[in-house]
Amino acid sequence: MSLKQFISDQSRRMAARSPWIYRINAGSCNGCDVECATTALIPRYDVERLGCQYCGSPRHADIVLVTGPLTARVKDSVLRVFDEVPDPKVTVAVGVCPISGGIFRDGYAVLAPLSKYIPVDVNVPGCAPRPQAIIEGIAQAIEIWRQRL
Amino acid sequence: MTESFYAIFAMLVFPGGLFALALGLALKGLDRRLAARLQRRVGPPLAQPLYDLVKLAKKRTMVPNIASEPVFLGAPLIGAVSMALAAALVPIPGFYTPNPAFGDLLVVLYLLTVPAVALMVAGSASGSPFGAIGFSREMAMMLAYEGPLVLVVAAVALRTGLGQGGWVSFSLTEIVAYQRTHGAFLLDPVMWPALLAFLAFYPANLGIIPFDIPEAETEVLEGPLLEYSGPALGLFKVMSALKAVVVLGLGIALFFPYAPDGAAGLLVHLAKLVLLMLIGVSVVRVSCGRMRIDQAFRFFLKWPLAFSVLSLAVVALA
Amino acid sequence: MNFIKTLIQNLVSGPSTVSYPFGPAWTPDNFRGRIDFKLASCTACRACEQVCAPGAIRFDKTPEGLRFMMWHNTCVFCGLCEHYCPTDAIRQTTDWHMAHPVKDEFGMAIRETIVYVNCTGCNAKTLSSAPNPVGVEPPFTPEEIEQQRNLCPACRKKALAERGAVS
Repeated sequence: MSLKQFISDQSRRMAARSPWIYRINAGSCNGCDVECATTALIPRYDVERLGCQYCGSPRHADIVLVTGPLTARVKDSVLRVFDEVPDPKVTVAVGVCPISGGIFRDGYAVLAPLSKYIPVDVNVPGCAPRPQAIIEGIAQAIEIWRQRL
Repeated sequence: MTESFYAIFAMLVFPGGLFALALGLALKGLDRRLAARLQRRVGPPLAQPLYDLVKLAKKRTMVPNIASEPVFLGAPLIGAVSMALAAALVPIPGFYTPNPAFGDLLVVLYLLTVPAVALMVAGSASGSPFGAIGFSREMAMMLAYEGPLVLVVAAVALRTGLGQGGWVSFSLTEIVAYQRTHGAFLLDPVMWPALLAFLAFYPANLGIIPFDIPEAETEVLEGPLLEYSGPALGLFKVMSALKAVVVLGLGIALFFPYAPDGAAGLLVHLAKLVLLMLIGVSVVRVSCGRMRIDQAFRFFLKWPLAFSVLSLAVVALA
Repeated sequence: MNFIKTLIQNLVSGPSTVSYPFGPAWTPDNFRGRIDFKLASCTACRACEQVCAPGAIRFDKTPEGLRFMMWHNTCVFCGLCEHYCPTDAIRQTTDWHMAHPVKDEFGMAIRETIVYVNCTGCNAKTLSSAPNPVGVEPPFTPEEIEQQRNLCPACRKKALAERGAVS
C-alpha cells in the first residue's frame, strides 16, 4: 500500500511537470495571441523551463489558453475544440475579453463571459496581459492541474 | 531454453526494450536542453521526456468517431515494439553482439521502415485531413530515403564481404568485427560517399527539422499524431526515442565501431551516442529551416541517391 | 557559415531568459497596471464613469451613499480615468500580478461607498465627497478640506465666498 502510494505520488509529481499548452482564439483581436506567442517563442520568457510545450493539436493539450471575447460566430467551433481536449485539463482565460468581454462587453456579436459556456479555472486579466502575467497564470494553472491529476 | 530466455531478455530489457528506452529518453532530454541553450533559452529539465511520458500515461485516450479503433490504437504499439526489437539487433561494439539467430542487417532495415509505416497507418486510420496529409508526406519521405539507405547498407555489406574474401556480408557482427581489425569505414575514403548518403538519411528517419515534414506542427499540426492523445501518443514518443537509439547505433555500427572490450565498450558507445545526438541532431535541428516536401523529395532523389549509387560502384571496383 | 558563429556565441553567452516565475520580474516605471482608488480624494464628479471605455467603473446610488465600483476584470488599462480624474483619486499603479483562480473572480473589484452625511451648515442630507481643491486660491489646508467634506454644495459655495477664495 505504501509503495503504491509512493508510486502514485511520484508519478503525479512527475506528470505535473509536463503541462502542454494549447491556444484557442475565440475571436480575439490578436493582441493576446501575440503575447502568448511571445511567451512561447522568445528566449526571454521561456515557458519550456516549466516543462510546457505549445502543441498544435487539442488532443495533446493539458492547459488550454483561451483568448478573445467568444464571438457568436466562433462559439460552436470553440466548444467543439474544447471538447477534444482530453481530461484532466485546465482552462486559462487570457485577457479581459474572455473574462468579461472587456471593451466589447454587451456587443451584439459577443457572447462573453466565456465562463457561461466553458469551465474556466484561471483568469489572467490584461489588455493584453504582459508575458510575465501569462506565465504567472500558467503557473497557477499548473497548481490546479496538479490537484486534478 | 536459455537461448530463448536470452533472446527475450535482449528484446525486453537489454539492449532493446527498457535500456534502449531509458537511453533514448536521456538522449532526447539532452537534445532538448542543448537546443534550448543554442537558442539562448534555459530549456526543460533533463528528465523532461520522462515527465512527458508519465503525463501521457495518466491522460485519457480519445478515439475519433470516424477512426478505425483497432488500427488506430494498434499502430503506435506496432511501431514501438518494432523499434524495441530493432534495438536488440544493433550491436554495441566490444560489449554486446546480437545473436545471429535473431537476424542481421536486413532485419534491422525492415524494422526501420515499420515506424514510418506505423505513422502512415496512424495518419490514415485517424480519419483526419491533417492525418491524411501527414500520411502522404510520410510516404513520400519514406520512398525518398529508403532507396539511399538500402544502397548504403549494400555498400557496407559488400565492402565487408569483399574484404573478408567472400561476397556480401549482412551480418552486423561481422561488419563490426571487420572494421575493428581493418580500420573503421569512417576513415576509409572508399566509404565516404556512403557516409554522406547516411548523413542525409538519418535526419529524415529521425524526423528532425530539415526533414520533419510529415509531423510539421506549424503546417499540418503534427500530421499523423494530430488525433492521438494519452497513452497512444506516449507510445509514439517511446517509438521516436527508441528510433533515435537504433538509427544512431546503426550509424555507429556501420561506420565507426571503435571501442575497447568489456564495460568500457559500453561507455564509449554511450559517449558516441551522446556526441552524435548533440552534434548530429541538436545543432542541425536549431540551425536549419524546414524543407518543403517537394524540395526534400527532389533532394533525396538527387544527392543521397547519387552518393549511394556512387559508393556501391566505388566499393565494387575497389 | 555565419550560423555556426551565432550558435557558438549563443552557447557561450548563456541563456537570456528572465527568471520570472522563480525570481523577481522587471516592471517599467510607466507601466499601466491595476487601478487604485482613493476614497478620501473622490469628488463624486463621475467623470471616470463617463470616460471608461469598457464600462468597468460604475456609480450606484444606495441607501448609504454613492457606491463606486470598479471591476479589474473588465478594465482595459487605457488610463483615461486617471487622466480625467481632477483630484487624482483614481491612479494607475504598475502592479500587474492580477492572474487569479476563478474562485477569486468576484473579489477582483473595488467597492467603496461615498456615504451620506448631514451637512454641518444646514443639516441637509449630502454626500461626504472631497472638495475639488484644484485652482482654489489660496489653496485649501487639510483642515479646510475636512470641513468642506461635510458641507452640502450650497454651504460649500457659501464657505468659499466667505473665505474670499477664487475657484
